[in-house]
Amino acid sequence: MESNRERGHIHPISSLIREANAIFFEMGFELAEGPLLEDEWHNFDALNVPKDHPARDMQDTFFMKAEPGMVLRTHTSPVQIRYMQEQVKKGIEPPYRIIVPGKVFRNEATDMTHEAEFFQIEGLAVAPDVSMAHLKGTLEQFFEKLFKGTSVEIRFRPSFFPFTEPSVEVDMRLVGEKAPEKLRDRWIEMMGAGMVHPSVLKNAGVDPEKYQGFAFGMGLDRLAMLRWGIDDVRLMHSADLRFINQF
Amino acid sequence: MKISREWLQTFFEKSLPAGRQGLPDAEALANALTFHAFEIESVENDVLDVKVTPNRGHDCLSYRGIAKEISAILDIPLISGATTLRDANEAFSMEMPIKVQIQRTDLCNRYIAWSIQGVKVGPSPKWLVDRLLTMGQHSINNVVDATNYTMFNLGQPLHAFDASKLKNVSGMFSISVRVAKTGESFSGLDKKQYILADTMLVIADGHSDAVLGVAGIKGGEASGISNETTDIIIESANFDGVSVRKTAAALKLRTDASQRFEQVISPELAGEGIRAAAKLIRELAGGELAGFADQYAALQEAKTVSVSLEKINAVLGVSLQRENIETVFKRLQFPCTCQGDTVTIEVPNERLDIVCAEDLIEEVGRIIGYDSIAAIPLPKSEKTPHVNPNFFAEEKMREEMIEKGYSEVITSVFSERGERVVLNKVDGVKPFLRDSFMENLSESRMKALQYKDLLGLKDAKVFEIGTVWRSGKEEVVVASVDAKGTSAEEIITPIEAKKYANYAPSSSEQYQSFSKYPYIVRDIALWVPSKTSDAEVLEVIRHNAGELLVRSEKFDEFKKGDKTSFAFRLIFQSFDRTLFDGDANERMESIYMAVKELRWEVR
Repeated sequence: MESNRERGHIHPISSLIREANAIFFEMGFELAEGPLLEDEWHNFDALNVPKDHPARDMQDTFFMKAEPGMVLRTHTSPVQIRYMQEQVKKGIEPPYRIIVPGKVFRNEATDMTHEAEFFQIEGLAVAPDVSMAHLKGTLEQFFEKLFKGTSVEIRFRPSFFPFTEPSVEVDMRLVGEKAPEKLRDRWIEMMGAGMVHPSVLKNAGVDPEKYQGFAFGMGLDRLAMLRWGIDDVRLMHSADLRFINQF
Repeated sequence: MKISREWLQTFFEKSLPAGRQGLPDAEALANALTFHAFEIESVENDVLDVKVTPNRGHDCLSYRGIAKEISAILDIPLISGATTLRDANEAFSMEMPIKVQIQRTDLCNRYIAWSIQGVKVGPSPKWLVDRLLTMGQHSINNVVDATNYTMFNLGQPLHAFDASKLKNVSGMFSISVRVAKTGESFSGLDKKQYILADTMLVIADGHSDAVLGVAGIKGGEASGISNETTDIIIESANFDGVSVRKTAAALKLRTDASQRFEQVISPELAGEGIRAAAKLIRELAGGELAGFADQYAALQEAKTVSVSLEKINAVLGVSLQRENIETVFKRLQFPCTCQGDTVTIEVPNERLDIVCAEDLIEEVGRIIGYDSIAAIPLPKSEKTPHVNPNFFAEEKMREEMIEKGYSEVITSVFSERGERVVLNKVDGVKPFLRDSFMENLSESRMKALQYKDLLGLKDAKVFEIGTVWRSGKEEVVVASVDAKGTSAEEIITPIEAKKYANYAPSSSEQYQSFSKYPYIVRDIALWVPSKTSDAEVLEVIRHNAGELLVRSEKFDEFKKGDKTSFAFRLIFQSFDRTLFDGDANERMESIYMAVKELRWEVR
């Protein structure tokens, strides 16, 4: 039976955010947001990125004309700070669990795998006893649900981000029959993560002596590309229905 | 940084591990570093390209730094003497024929100059030429090569001047570390002319005031080492990282030396570096030490950092014993003492990255290996998470639009106009932040209409939920263009809710890339016996149309007596070329033939 009105199509990024929100909501995470045009304090200083860090140089960040101190956010992490500050202001102590999906910006030339505008999803869990073991467990659960019952293995490799300590790169491997053939048994680099740096907690008004937490940030465009076998990141912003109408 | 296994081996008595069968020997080192220290960009001919993280640029842009890592990770001892960074002042006990003056000690904390007389400049031995080649450097001469080699080996940049090119006043050389004058010009060893600014630090001849080098970046052509050089002055200094980075960027001159200073290195390293360089120069080129100067403004303070076992276990989510921790620190050569549950380490001079307890927790985590952390789910949340009213409203709107047959697009926030402007857009185009994205939607719809046969659409309707900047505010709106091309826009108003509606995500399994080439449309209408279904007919058409047929669908059907008329629209397209009419005609002929054989009648 054909309905008289055919259903339209959701953008793959929106679809992923919809799914991620549903999975994380079940795990007790609430969705938080913040402005795309952000101040340098939230985007850099509060996140332990020092004044003279190369990332603050002209080539990576979009700065605004006649608006000193304002940038197009380079990651979703400033929302960690905004959320925690807001809670502290309301007198709400941790535990906190949030996810932050949204658009971020890098001032670079675009090609098949690089876009100046792209999407990230950020996660943050703060409590007296949140550990790296919980980070592993949380990501494992998330990917198992996202890849529909596939067995997922998570692997950490040492890395560095100013806002986490320890910092790790997170690899994922899908195993078993249910895994999509192209992704099966292959380690895939998924995101950066780590334990929230005590200075970051302090900057947001949370006592690092009492609380600790994990944070992760992953590219949604890349996740969509892996999930659906999309070969060119520029399609995401193309508004081309030959692309969109496949979803 | 490039790390050759052969060079790295000089730090160890025991043989470094070999690769598994069929793999290069460096592969074992690559794995050790990947899972315990740094990402490896490539492994080629037993040379690793190690991506040293910015927090370890202090000590690991050197063979010794990497050797210490390997020693800790694989628990292989370093040869004695290769490990400690001692103050070098003890060896400096001679008369001082060099005067050093530092104008800004905030930009140059330490400057050591050694004078060596009677060197014989010549070619370097093969081992040195080969090792520098693995670093991508061509051999210059034994003196210059010795300074470069020491830089890669220990991480301290060094420079050698031809002493005869410096002014000598009553047996004294004078070196002045000063800020450049605006417009002052300088000719580098690369034979290029640089115009300096008063934010840049230079090394100048204190007697003549001539610029000898740009501090921490490049030496000058005039005082370079030549085959005639017999007396040299070696420089080993500690320059401010930020200042070096800014100068290197301004001059577009990034060098191996500037790269190391940018990362900030221990001032103690300057002493060790100059001793090692001088020793190697004298081995390769002879000469006698004739004097020295060492201006050291602020001595590096000894530092200790403590962490409790309980905290290590709580952050990593493991249950280690005190002995495990002590073993890790021993392997890292961090002198440590324990008091009850608390471990205190003396931070080695070169490990400027170790400041707080969490830094030590990371050291423990990566040396024991993150694979020893088990995955534990978070405990069930005590509170029900709050439903985000903006996201709830966006999702509701999104679902309504999709229900109505709209396609959701996401378009760029950059625009030809708006109220807010980006200062530094790399590509220079569309510098404004959009105040509307209606145009993007119309454009998307118009483009979609060109492909409507390919997409099997009667019309195209698109929408976007996105950010705009106007009236001094950033807000999220939904905008759409309907089948008639009429546009609409409204601000998303938050909706308070207790739980999410949990709409279905896309059911798409796999994306199929589409051809960038034009397509050809052909219609076919035919009479078939009434018992024949449209699916059967389509099957025959598809089978005979070949792979160029990318889409086919029925657009008409009616019955007359015992016959049915079906009409199908066929779309032909190639992935690698523009199709001609002939291509489509040929396919249609095959279809007609097949249909005729079945005694179906083409209308």
